[in-house]
Amino acid sequence: MNWLVTMLGIVGATAFLGGPAAAAAQDAPRRPNIVIILGDDLGYSDMGVFGSEIRTPNLDSLAKDGVRFTSFYTHATCSPTRSMLLSGVDTHINGLGNMDEWAAPNQFGVPGYEGDLNDRVATLPALLKDAGYHTYMVGKWHLGKAPDRIPAARGFERDFSLLDGGGSYWDMMSFTALSPRSLFTEDGRYLTKLPKDYYATKTYTDKLISFIDANKGDGKPFFAYVAHQAPHDPFHLPKDWRDRHVGQYDRGWDVLRKERLSRQIELGVVPKGTSLAERMWFLPDPFVLAPATRAVFGRKMELYAGMVENMDFHVGRLIDHLKKIGEYENTIFIVFGDNGAEGADLFGMIAGAPGTRDFLFAAMNWSKTDPKSWGEPGSYPSYGPAWAQVSMTPFSQYKGMTTEGGIRNALIVSGPVVKRPKGSINGGFMHVADIMPTLLEVAGTAYPKAHNGHDLPPLIGKSWMTVLAGRAESPRTDQDYMGWEIFGNRALRQGDWKLRWQWKPYGTGDWELYNLASDPVERTNLAAQNPDKLKALLALWDEYANANNVIIPSRSMFESADDKLPQRFPDDAGYPPIMYHGQFVPPAALIKK
Amino acid sequence: MTHALSTSFVTRVPGWPRNVAAIALFALFVPAIASAQGDGPRTYWKGLSGTNVIPVIYTTISGNTNPFDPSHTVNADGNISATLMLAGFAKVTAVGDRAASVQVLFPMGSLSGEAVVDGKTYGQSAGGFGDPMLQVGLNVVGPKAMKALPDLLRYEPRFSIDLIGSLAVPIGEYHSDQPLNIGQNRWYGRIGAPVVYQIGNWAPERRTTLEFLPAIWFFGANNDFVGQTMENDVLFQLEGHLTHNFTKSFWGSLDAAWYSGGKATIDGVAGAKLNNAGLSFTAGYMINDNTQLTVGFGSTLGDNKPEDLRLSQFRVTLIYGWHSLVEGVKRLGGN
Repeated sequence: MNWLVTMLGIVGATAFLGGPAAAAAQDAPRRPNIVIILGDDLGYSDMGVFGSEIRTPNLDSLAKDGVRFTSFYTHATCSPTRSMLLSGVDTHINGLGNMDEWAAPNQFGVPGYEGDLNDRVATLPALLKDAGYHTYMVGKWHLGKAPDRIPAARGFERDFSLLDGGGSYWDMMSFTALSPRSLFTEDGRYLTKLPKDYYATKTYTDKLISFIDANKGDGKPFFAYVAHQAPHDPFHLPKDWRDRHVGQYDRGWDVLRKERLSRQIELGVVPKGTSLAERMWFLPDPFVLAPATRAVFGRKMELYAGMVENMDFHVGRLIDHLKKIGEYENTIFIVFGDNGAEGADLFGMIAGAPGTRDFLFAAMNWSKTDPKSWGEPGSYPSYGPAWAQVSMTPFSQYKGMTTEGGIRNALIVSGPVVKRPKGSINGGFMHVADIMPTLLEVAGTAYPKAHNGHDLPPLIGKSWMTVLAGRAESPRTDQDYMGWEIFGNRALRQGDWKLRWQWKPYGTGDWELYNLASDPVERTNLAAQNPDKLKALLALWDEYANANNVIIPSRSMFESADDKLPQRFPDDAGYPPIMYHGQFVPPAALIKK
Repeated sequence: MTHALSTSFVTRVPGWPRNVAAIALFALFVPAIASAQGDGPRTYWKGLSGTNVIPVIYTTISGNTNPFDPSHTVNADGNISATLMLAGFAKVTAVGDRAASVQVLFPMGSLSGEAVVDGKTYGQSAGGFGDPMLQVGLNVVGPKAMKALPDLLRYEPRFSIDLIGSLAVPIGEYHSDQPLNIGQNRWYGRIGAPVVYQIGNWAPERRTTLEFLPAIWFFGANNDFVGQTMENDVLFQLEGHLTHNFTKSFWGSLDAAWYSGGKATIDGVAGAKLNNAGLSFTAGYMINDNTQLTVGFGSTLGDNKPEDLRLSQFRVTLIYGWHSLVEGVKRLGGN
């Protein structure tokens, strides 16, 4: 059966790529290679072409050769996004109804909540492999560790993968006493040691280049999933990448957000008149912080910027290599971040409280806390909510939330399938689950009804081919909708309207309604003013939840947030004035001599 | 990855402000005027402008030279033991964009032993206060002066060169009828150019430096040295240190010193010039943000001949430093 699918796929691809298959058999261009570059926790505005001051010339070059999408959605956390990318199926069906680390008691044992990419879905690499593609993966997997869940078992012909959700960039050190070592696989074998001179971003790139070269010239296209660990914390970084922005971020997050927004407007990434989402209510205006405090916090962002630039450098190495071997022009690049930027204190959570086992583990292995040690093995620098909001400029909040800052990300697509003007920008409503049907279409294959003896659930995404060809502005109509749920936080978007529920105090603990056309940063809850729209979207939510077996978790990491976080007040600029009043200088003529 | 709540923000800055105070303490300019180790390791690291430092140095020394006299004039066949204490005060400041320092050091202590002058052996002891020494230093190559806390947080010595000038004021206790004195009854001083070269990362738990201090000592004439006149040629001194942190608080250093010149002439009779080297080891420990303790032992090498400089010393240094800003933060109990 597979050979038939493959043949049909090749014929289909040939037809798609221009011209009757029979007549063009000799001259037909080879099917394009596909490279997906995923930045772990990379924020919406962290690339230069999306408004960043961080220098990303190589990623920018892909955007200038291709198209930027400004309304692209992932999920709010990483493994759910990855599961949809690789299966095209909703998280509550594909096994990531909740993150493995946070499955709630009422979700235990429920199909769709296994915590890994279950075997009831077909994977993109498996289908592409069946369609005649070489399939390579490097980087972070985070979709299961068992032998039947690792990349080699899910369709990747070659891989070098970190199975965990994170870890040291320098070695196999992981985060907790019970799971002290990160798990890696290479070509389906679990590793006991890492290559000499291992540094995650560099090694992943080296490996991928070696995979590509190993099969170069055999006539088959390749699909490469480059799931960089960067720029996820800890911000482990070679020394020569740490000091490229010294002092630049001392000005604080508010200034950086304003600057990024200004550039985004100038670039056309967001429309004129777009405002910034409110600063998280528990964050200070950096204006009131002492210079040294700003320097310490600025250092964190300096390192983050270095992480992004280092990743960009290695992406550049890959691009250069593809150019050198003559494959660049025939390669589709898809670049995006897997969720909102990370605003949480993961290390604080991992290390736990004094007296606990994990605290002791952290004391032994992760206690290099001095800013001068940041970037070294044993350090755990991360940048916190203030800088995460900068990364998500102009949107609200960050990773883990179903605000736009949690689920909306920057997307670049380039390559032979893009017929839009080079460097153009599109605002169509795109979703990570669209990538599966898009790439199956590129490969000239189809989503099967069954795979490995299982009937397959339907794809939830829509192919982008008409959009990439410039024949449509969005793969969705105004009636199409997409839903999200993680940790109990929920959202649904249909057209310009967005329904949202978030735990207090991140949300109201009730359904909220926003119009993203007029309020993309979700400042004004319109639920009370638009009861009919609210009701209509709630009906769609019920439809979504029923269709996808959404089980609202009985426990959540946010369940005590309202007790732990400061009471929420608006971030009214300039309030209270006493914080901003300078020394009064009387007129010189009235000063007593 | 997982996701957590951020309940405290400003108060959870790792390393703040402990490292600030700790770094401030490295602003030490403590010339050990009578040391086989020279000024000692990590003396010319920089600190936040405005930092105050009080060093207290306790040394026991034995050898064939008066340890209170930096000319190290050798008493062949002499055997001198001394207990030396130095206390001082140093202030870190800035001249324009360059780091600078001013300090004063007061030697005191006692010594006893035998010295041979003009064929006559003196067995004696002495005690009291020595000649206070003033020293100024100015950085000429390297990072700019640290005038604000962000500068301090970003400080790395990389490659730095200072210029120093020292001058001892001859007001220490002196008895003209005996050759061994605490005070030297003459002006003397030096110029030097301390060099600090950072090796590798500046992470506190693995800091490594290679340091050199080339210096030239100048000596005035002592016109009443047991009724005679003693003069010394200039003395070239080169000391070097390879220092390394084993933990954030604990470090060690391998030290070497070389002396050349300094030939003494007593009433026209010239002695031998020095050409001697010494080796020592130092261990340092940051007791708390304000206080550092170092312990060192050193000895001259190749000192078998009577005319060779022979000096062994054990030295303990306690250094207390503070900066008004950092102390204020501590008083408020803030992070």
